Amino acid sequence: MKVWLLYLILMKAMLTCFSGPTSLPVVHHDLVEKYHVLSDKQLTTAVAAGRLTPGPFGLYLVSVGYFIDGTPGAIAGFLALITPAFLIIPMLFYLGHRVNKPRIRNAVRVLTLASAGLLLTTTIPLARVAIQGPLTIGIALGTFVLLVFLKRSTIWAIVGGAAAGMLFYLIA
Amino acid sequence: MATATPSPVPVKLSLFRLFLVYLKVGNLTFGGGDPTMAALQTEMVASRGWISDRAYALVYTLARITPGTNLLAFCAGTAWELLGWPGAIAAVLAMTVPAALLVLWVTAHYATLQAHPFAMAALGGVLAAAVGIMIAAAWQLARPSFSRRSWIQAGIVLAVAVLLSFPGTRIYLTPLRVLGLAALVGLLWEIPA
Repeated sequence: MKVWLLYLILMKAMLTCFSGPTSLPVVHHDLVEKYHVLSDKQLTTAVAAGRLTPGPFGLYLVSVGYFIDGTPGAIAGFLALITPAFLIIPMLFYLGHRVNKPRIRNAVRVLTLASAGLLLTTTIPLARVAIQGPLTIGIALGTFVLLVFLKRSTIWAIVGGAAAGMLFYLIA
Repeated sequence: MATATPSPVPVKLSLFRLFLVYLKVGNLTFGGGDPTMAALQTEMVASRGWISDRAYALVYTLARITPGTNLLAFCAGTAWELLGWPGAIAAVLAMTVPAALLVLWVTAHYATLQAHPFAMAALGGVLAAAVGIMIAAAWQLARPSFSRRSWIQAGIVLAVAVLLSFPGTRIYLTPLRVLGLAALVGLLWEIPA
């Protein structure tokens, strides 16, 4: 896949979402289902690699880009991640406080809810790859509890998952 | 219009100093966008008084509706308020380059890891954790819209989005179409706060 096309696809994914994780459905649809240049396992690995750092969720695009086209692909992913951020400047310039209109706030809420629904359905094929038995079910559930109820950082989920995997390997 | 040009900076602020603040906060604050934005609020509004409460609130609101990563839009917006375009570019690079290099390094060594069963066992655990992370992200996105007054409407939107995006069904729509439909619904149908 040409690097510029990869950049445009990843940019499209970022421009149609309002947070890093919600770009996943578009990335999955375009790169896994339509162009077949990325596997479900690579996408799941990219999400995990992206959460190893304290940076934004969207960093997984760097990993996605690398899997598809090496370092040039990673640069395309990085540029697709940062480019939309600068849209806020013309918005500050032209919109100002008009953005506080209830109708716009409501539209963003509905979009965010729909994005959450899309994210759930995108997780299904990725879970089919990653969930292989009781241990991995436990890790996924434990991660959910750790993040949602105990409010811990994702780094602990990643480190805990790796530790549980290694421990099970040593015992089994 | 609240902010036609960047706000005057009350203290002498160099591009390098601005870069260092974003580098420190962006790369040492785990937990995602909100904790990082809260840390920046402490650094820029409460401690140093670089940005007014009003300008901070406006950037925060606009960052929520800027496509892409809210946190990066927030950083670009606050830094633009201080030092214009050079500030915005410096802030976004400070927030992302170190972490992106780490992600690149991890991904580049993925092939090497695959040769070691012990490393693959660790990776299996990490992939399962990634699934938990995605479900938690969906929960955290949807949760604020579920109040006592709005849970039925919010539940309908969430369920319809899941049904329409479920692969292999007759009513399947691509993610972009689901989002387009959601934007239209959001403009026409008000969900109580």
